Amino acid sequence: MGNNKKNLTTAVAFAAALAAALVIFNVVSGGKFLARENFTVVVSHIVYPAFTAWGLSFLFACGYTDMSVGGVVVLAAFASTVFGNLYGYPGVIIAGVVVGTLLIFINFNIFAYTKIPSWIASISLAMIYEATGFYLKTSNATKSLVTTALNRDYRVLGQLPWSAVLLAAGFAAAYIVYNRTTVGLNIRAIGGNTEVSRAMGVNVNRTLLWVGLISGLFIGFAAVVQISYSGLMTVKTGLTSMSMIFQPLAIVLLAQIMKKRVNIIIAIPVCSLIIYSIFNLLTILHVPSGTLQEACLGAFLIIFGVMGRRGGREVVK
Amino acid sequence: MRRQQRVKLGDAVPFIAFVVIFLFFAVASRGKMFSSYNLMLLVDQSMVTILLGCGMLFVVAQGSIDLSVGVNLALSGVAATYAANIAGAWAFIPTAMLVGAIVGVFNGVVVSKGKVSSFMLTISMLIGVRGIVNFIQESLMKTTGNGSQKLPDSLLPLGSNTLRAPVFIVIVLVMAYLFEFTKLGRYGKAIGENERSAGNVGVPVTLMKILAFGISGLLAGVGGVFTVSKYGATNQTMGQFMEMQVAMAIFLGGVLVTGGAGAKIYKVVLGSLSITLIVNGLAIIGKSDSDISQTVEGILLLAILFITILVNSRATRRRASRKATVDGISGADSADAELAGFRIDKGENET
Amino acid sequence: MRGDIILEIRGLNKSFGPTAANRNIDFTLERGEIHGLIGENGSGKSTLISQIAGLYGSDSGTMALNGAPYVPRSPLEANAKRVSMVMQELGVVASLPAGVNVFLGRTKEFSKFGIVSLKALNRAAEEQFEKWELPKVDLHALADGMMIETRKMIELVRAMAVDPEILILDEITQSLSYNNRNKLYELLKKFKAMGRSAVVITHDVEELIEITDRITVLRDGAVAGVLDSVNTTADEVKRLMVGREISGEYYRSDSEPSFDETRTVLSARGLTVEGEVRDVSFDVHAGEILGFCGISDSGIHTVGRALYGLEKLTSGRVLLEGRELKSPTCALRSNMAYVPKDRDNDALMMGASIWENFALPSVTELTGKAFFISPRRLRALARKMTEKMSVKCRDIFQTMTDLSGGNKQKVNLGRWLAKDIKLLILDCPTRGVDVGVKAYIYSLMKDAKAEGIATILISDELTEVLGMSDRLCVMKDGVLKAIIPRGDEFTEHSLIKVMV
Repeated sequence: MGNNKKNLTTAVAFAAALAAALVIFNVVSGGKFLARENFTVVVSHIVYPAFTAWGLSFLFACGYTDMSVGGVVVLAAFASTVFGNLYGYPGVIIAGVVVGTLLIFINFNIFAYTKIPSWIASISLAMIYEATGFYLKTSNATKSLVTTALNRDYRVLGQLPWSAVLLAAGFAAAYIVYNRTTVGLNIRAIGGNTEVSRAMGVNVNRTLLWVGLISGLFIGFAAVVQISYSGLMTVKTGLTSMSMIFQPLAIVLLAQIMKKRVNIIIAIPVCSLIIYSIFNLLTILHVPSGTLQEACLGAFLIIFGVMGRRGGREVVK
Repeated sequence: MRRQQRVKLGDAVPFIAFVVIFLFFAVASRGKMFSSYNLMLLVDQSMVTILLGCGMLFVVAQGSIDLSVGVNLALSGVAATYAANIAGAWAFIPTAMLVGAIVGVFNGVVVSKGKVSSFMLTISMLIGVRGIVNFIQESLMKTTGNGSQKLPDSLLPLGSNTLRAPVFIVIVLVMAYLFEFTKLGRYGKAIGENERSAGNVGVPVTLMKILAFGISGLLAGVGGVFTVSKYGATNQTMGQFMEMQVAMAIFLGGVLVTGGAGAKIYKVVLGSLSITLIVNGLAIIGKSDSDISQTVEGILLLAILFITILVNSRATRRRASRKATVDGISGADSADAELAGFRIDKGENET
Repeated sequence: MRGDIILEIRGLNKSFGPTAANRNIDFTLERGEIHGLIGENGSGKSTLISQIAGLYGSDSGTMALNGAPYVPRSPLEANAKRVSMVMQELGVVASLPAGVNVFLGRTKEFSKFGIVSLKALNRAAEEQFEKWELPKVDLHALADGMMIETRKMIELVRAMAVDPEILILDEITQSLSYNNRNKLYELLKKFKAMGRSAVVITHDVEELIEITDRITVLRDGAVAGVLDSVNTTADEVKRLMVGREISGEYYRSDSEPSFDETRTVLSARGLTVEGEVRDVSFDVHAGEILGFCGISDSGIHTVGRALYGLEKLTSGRVLLEGRELKSPTCALRSNMAYVPKDRDNDALMMGASIWENFALPSVTELTGKAFFISPRRLRALARKMTEKMSVKCRDIFQTMTDLSGGNKQKVNLGRWLAKDIKLLILDCPTRGVDVGVKAYIYSLMKDAKAEGIATILISDELTEVLGMSDRLCVMKDGVLKAIIPRGDEFTEHSLIKVMV
């Protein structure tokens, strides 16, 4: 069928554009960007945003936003650190994933049952999680536990090649769930048109619970990756944890712009690469982080948001 | 023949919340709450929240949200202080208001023309503009060795309450007038109720959105003036978390997240007092740690949103059951496939 | 090929609150029969098929399928009993590929070890398209970009994929083009030859007589009569629907145009909206009712929106008394009025009070010095109009959702009549209201005409535009085909010749 051919052409064009972009980056940075050491850093840095973005894309697919993901990652990373230092790798992985999944699952139940718009409900939850994290960090009982860095021996998931393996595994899992399972198809159906889905026999409530679980798993893994990479998680109050979600958010928004041409699950790691590369480039070019880089991120979010909405006729609040 | 509007249950909730919060802290603080010093403090603390809230209400009434007021306050405060030091004291207030309004109008244009959700846009502004503010502060740090700038001495009297209080009252009254008695408010509420129908009547939706965000930004600028003049200098954390405090105040006052006819200025004032009471009360009873107050605020926000939604949906459910009597038979028959087709067009990812 | 009874309904009742939607319905469907169902809006036909398809339960009465009791509690249960329906309003999921849409809710049937084989699923979907000889659809593509007609086809295949014994089609033909309509007729013939049965709803009486074996006419929730399609006429069906001879004082009684030709109120010149209407030009005069009719997708509703400035014009101009209109705000200021088709979603603020709805279009007129708007004056206006339009309500503070459809429509119209308007654009003003309110709306239109207000009446109901218009614009595929003046040629027959 002509369809496959068209897909192939799109894929080739896409890859070519990406390669061209990377080369241009390299030229602009005076050859520093594609230097082996730097590029390794780039690749290991896109794992966390990619996982978070996959998690978010499932939430978005059925019309929810979750701004508390940063807070969830903080708490999951704490769990990872504490149990990792106690029990080694099983502790790192299980504790992080369980806490992450559980919290997102709780969030999702709150969104679904209270009917509070998810953006504002998730901001409230972010406040609570952040404060909890801050309490754990400052309270005498737990202070020493969570402020001790994760043992260097247990950080392999944050380094190449293991982080790349994790990325590949995450990609395969996300792709299959999103495109090839009844749950994935039902999630997309609900996001598209809840009424039709219900009439066609999709169990909406059960599917929504699945969304919470699936997103939670991805975000749990994101936390594990993050703590494995950095070794220590810090937290401040004042909704500062929300900043952890902005990069993944930019990635999902960019991926959504391409949605009509490229499957969103495929687009996410690619967009992660693009976005992180841009920031890497900015760093190489000595644009100060925390100030002007943030300003760029804000600008990207706005531009992607506007581009994604182009041509839409529906009412947006 | 003339009957006044009945008091609805939904409207009583914020009053009850206020009284409960008040009584709780009155008891918990063993009356320390009522010391004249503390009452003054309460008013002082709630001033900026009310100011920003009055501005944001125009946006919220339309069913949107402006989470950029905090950083906008910081940006206009920093810019105005800089202008005052460079160009002279006269530039302070105009610069703050101008910068605030520009940021607000920008928000309005992107939301109305770009069709981006206001939440997405203003949270992007929150991060982007904060980056710019930090950049300015850091550059100043490099040149002057001090991240905060001082106000020129001639402007320090602006910080006195004898001047601030009347100005504050005038601003709130003007906002109340604009919101309750002019087209701006009336059309804004109509947009919140049903944007499509407002547009179909001929309400200039785009213009109204730009104006609403513009006013919100302008008042953020005024908030910048109030904040800087109160301390006599700018600081790093200025305006941080302010957007949430203001949003909480509005929702705590009983304004619906979806906006519409229920939006009222008095609710903003009431909600601002409630939220200030909480922050102030926690400090008085010795629980001022940011983790505790933030947890309390988070839980409270969830609870208050849940209650308002519950109260309102009970009312709608009652209506809905009656509605079925009419639309269940006639509506379903007559609505046509074309429209159903348009409804499907709704994006996959409404955020 | 007709034979024994497959579905038998006895004494079915269904009420929504105090209103009876169905009263003692008896209905039989024979094997191999195409059964038509017709009635005015609100006659209960949608309720009846929803009950058969498992969307609503019944208060009393019985249904029997093949002699056994049939009580479907959901569309799924109905499907399991091989009863399926294409619903008028439902549609497809835009975010999923067409193939998945066909088997949505049944994807498990194609999964092995939890993984759905899209290949097998699409093959099965393709087989269905082939089996029923329907135009092919790209099964891999998202339904998002597809035309309404294509989507309708997907819905049809979705229903056929159940392999139904009974197929229910609710107003499907109106969104189909001429040749796809013929394909559907072929499908029904084939279906019938297989000894299966179908229930078909359509507003088009001639079509119904043509394609069905029997017709059940519903009126006010009860069966008004069952007719054999071979022996009946359109007039007989309509008489049963309305319950009396149509015509009479309901519509206008004169048979010639009457308006002031010298006073042009609004002129449209070369109106073009991308993909919707092309090069439409006409004038409306003071005291004239200018009708617009056409089958769906003919662009009549877009013309109404475009006149009020709500559509982006690719070219063309709208002139009100010689001044060009640029935007809806401009139209509002120039004392134009627009009543959209979808009352609840596009016209009224359902969550707001009656007075706020009444006041909205008059806000500009009631703005005083210093932009001051007195809420008291707004309420006074609302009170006056509530009384004048005799809106049934407790008080003006009542929420719109509390009102019945007819009373909502009174507010919808009344808020414009409170103003000194020059031009009134009505898009399906009697949609979903009962006969009494309908007559009232017609009398309002006659009053407006007498006052010299120009009216543009856009409607899907031919009898309505024929009954009320001075001149009638017939549109097809976005093009204005003919403007027919009131007179001898004012018949449904001559219109349909132009429309189809």
